[in-house]
Amino acid sequence: MNPVLRAEKLCKWYGNILGISDITLEVGPGITGLLGPNGAGKSTFLKIAAGQLKPKLGSLALFGEPSWRNPGMFRRVGFCPENDSAYGEMSGADFVLLLARLHGFAGARAREAAGKALATVGLLESGGRAVKSYSFGMRQRLRLAASIVHEPELLLLDEPLRGVDPLWRIRIMELIKEYGRQGRAVIVSSHILPEIEAMTSEIVLIHQGKIFAKGDIHRIRGLIDRHPHQVSVRGPRPRQLAARLIDGDFVSGVEFAADGRGLTVRTGQRDRFFAELMRLAAEPGAGVEEITAPDDNLQAVFDYLIGK
Amino acid sequence: MSSESPLRVIFAAFLRSGLRARRTRLFILLGLVPALLMIAVRLLEGSGAVETGASGQFFSHLMLSLYFQLLIPVLALFFGSGVVNEELDNKTLVYLTSVPVRRRDVLLGKYLAAFLLAALLVAAGFLLSFLASALERLGDAGAWAELGLFLGTALLALLCYSALFTALGAFMKKSILLGLFFVFGWESVVQYFPGVTQKFTIVHWIKSLLPLPPGQNSFLVFQLQPSPPMQSVLTLLVLGALFLALAVFIFERKEYILSDNA
Repeated sequence: MNPVLRAEKLCKWYGNILGISDITLEVGPGITGLLGPNGAGKSTFLKIAAGQLKPKLGSLALFGEPSWRNPGMFRRVGFCPENDSAYGEMSGADFVLLLARLHGFAGARAREAAGKALATVGLLESGGRAVKSYSFGMRQRLRLAASIVHEPELLLLDEPLRGVDPLWRIRIMELIKEYGRQGRAVIVSSHILPEIEAMTSEIVLIHQGKIFAKGDIHRIRGLIDRHPHQVSVRGPRPRQLAARLIDGDFVSGVEFAADGRGLTVRTGQRDRFFAELMRLAAEPGAGVEEITAPDDNLQAVFDYLIGK
Repeated sequence: MSSESPLRVIFAAFLRSGLRARRTRLFILLGLVPALLMIAVRLLEGSGAVETGASGQFFSHLMLSLYFQLLIPVLALFFGSGVVNEELDNKTLVYLTSVPVRRRDVLLGKYLAAFLLAALLVAAGFLLSFLASALERLGDAGAWAELGLFLGTALLALLCYSALFTALGAFMKKSILLGLFFVFGWESVVQYFPGVTQKFTIVHWIKSLLPLPPGQNSFLVFQLQPSPPMQSVLTLLVLGALFLALAVFIFERKEYILSDNA
């Protein structure tokens, strides 16, 4: 079966700044998560795929056709950009209706398509308001509505959950999964692992402009879970908590905070450690006030995986 | 699936949003300034502070200096360069370039909306100034012919300037500065050069279509060596078409990078 997206030795740089380098990738129907820290090259890749940027070297084709200077392709492709950009003077409904009409829908069909897309993202009632009065999260949902108004076969979503409230985050993830179940192709980017994990098991790890790993998330997860994590716990009795935790072979080190109200634990077995910590935190009088993982961000994980 | 022309859809949408824009309201106020000046002169004329007939002369001066040398180029600069620059500044271009519409339709639709907005502003200002200056001559066909001449020339000027600044805006992100230099530097100075040099300005062809205002031997106009009207009309139309074709050429090929957070 022909892939929906095929990139070959794709390179893009902006002056002296590298965007992406030597990316070769095939993506088929279903959901593919594009995961990487900020500045990794995810947006550059998606913008090339969406025909917004021209490849410097190599090629990228959607449905077998180049994406650059090929507007006809957008009948089959929807793109939700990361930029918080909008026509502030237009109403949300006018904006989505404009895009529906530009996608070839006319009259009542255009209004119906726009209404359906707005309803999908929960903006039907506020559609009459000027976009400049929308919150950040509403504008994000509006961009999503604009990208799905023509029900594309391929959906390119650049950080679609950024700034969206928890309820709509779940609904949007469900919408994306529904697209995947319908046999459409969705490429969704994020720098937050659990977001991608909640939508798909097929991921592409991108770092410093290159594809670092590709495949099933469980394999990647295994690597990530073996990454020695640091977890900080705040509370009134850190030494008592440390004494309980240190019994487990999953703890490799403990350091107390200077103010005597916290500790940082190093662990090589994240899941076992968290299971034990949660059990202890739930005990009466444990006094755990805050749990943070200072290095539990994607950049730290990538640094670990590439052996920095 | 659709019989709607994308050019028309874009034109209508951006005309509507242009009418609502804060910038348009600002330009409406700016466009009212000459009309208010005209009314002031009429009042002074009525009170005997200035000689009778001064308002007629003032109308011609007003048209030439305030409209054709200032307001029209400045309006064309802001509306024309905004066709692409505004999309880049607001990072909204992506919406118009990720739909199955040729980029030329996007540019031409937006250009026509910008041109019509600017034309409406100028025409409204002209009409108000004219009514204030020729209140007692409204039955005089000559007065209306003069208004028609000014209005027709203004539309040609807007067409040409807007096309030039649309091309400039498609070519570079911060085109306003260069546009201001063109309007207040090149156009303001070179139009007074003798011989054929002044023909390298747009304002030369515009002025060639207008009646010389009274006091034509003053410093500002003594160097004008008008070209024939038909030649001037054709030149403005051809220049406008060329600038527009250039704008389309650039816009269809140029890669616009909307974010530095790549």
